[in-house]
Amino acid sequence: MPQLVFTYTGQLAAAAGAAEEAIEVAPGATLRSALDFLAARHGEAYARHLFHSDGRMRSTLLVVFDGEQAAGDKESLMLDGVGTVMLMTPIAGG
Amino acid sequence: MTELDRSIYEWQLDLPGFGEAGQERLRNATALVSRVGGLGGPLALSLAAAGIGKLVLAHAGDLRLDDLNRQILMRHDGVGKPRVESLKATLRAFNPHIEVEAIPENVAESNAASLVGRADIVFGAAPLFEERFLLNRECVRQRKPLIDCAMYGLEGQVIPIVPGETPCLACLYPEVPEHWRRRFPVMGAVSALAANIGAMEGLKLLAGFGEVNLNRLLYFDTAAMRFQTVKIRRDPGCSVCGEI
Repeated sequence: MPQLVFTYTGQLAAAAGAAEEAIEVAPGATLRSALDFLAARHGEAYARHLFHSDGRMRSTLLVVFDGEQAAGDKESLMLDGVGTVMLMTPIAGG
Repeated sequence: MTELDRSIYEWQLDLPGFGEAGQERLRNATALVSRVGGLGGPLALSLAAAGIGKLVLAHAGDLRLDDLNRQILMRHDGVGKPRVESLKATLRAFNPHIEVEAIPENVAESNAASLVGRADIVFGAAPLFEERFLLNRECVRQRKPLIDCAMYGLEGQVIPIVPGETPCLACLYPEVPEHWRRRFPVMGAVSALAANIGAMEGLKLLAGFGEVNLNRLLYFDTAAMRFQTVKIRRDPGCSVCGEI
């Protein structure tokens, strides 16, 4: 199966314990299925930045496919042809 | 332009596309800096160095010891005193030829329209999203450019927002992030880096030179010294800018 690289920023990188990781994804896989897999791997501290408590994906999660913000409903985004998925959580000043 | 101005800004007057016309545009411009901590302080200093006409600094509260790792324009003897007044004094000493207005208030519903209204450009550097969203909403309403600067850990990002042309902050983050906290890890060199990238974007917008990173987000991670631009999109259904 093809390898897909996930990179993380902000609080999500801290929760994942790494700035990036690669996973294998099956043809026809959705972003949602990959995130469910990663959430199970990393646990609640990671998952809470992706999903609301009712399971919906967070609107504040910025999803970037190969350097470009992914368009459309995050729940149904397909991963075919994508090389790198960057997941960005919001950060602020101070 | 006076001889004194030519002497002070000589090194930047030679920049391609800038020149005396760019310098005049800066001189005639007013910038609002929302919060003058680790981000807003160095950002204001770079605007002052470039010769912006007027700075409006908005930040409530007094300097604390735990601010000093990143609020590099502050001083130990300023602990317990208002940050905006300390910064105003520093900026005035550095460049007495610009105007600096210190407002000891954070951006809030009660003052957002007035603060944004007196500026040609706004720099957002606040730690809480409620405040950042309010500033974003008001900038969109008044069609004022906003340079949004942020940091976390060893990372930073800068988003130039031109209402109607680029995504606004609410296009990217439609709601307050539930798990964001006021206190987070960061190092002063990171905040100063994000600040100066933000200052540069604002200076280019004001003076009309170079290429502003419109419709793109600049992200950097100093842990790996990796810089990246990300193409970002307007949200046609954005509750803040979707109608303009």
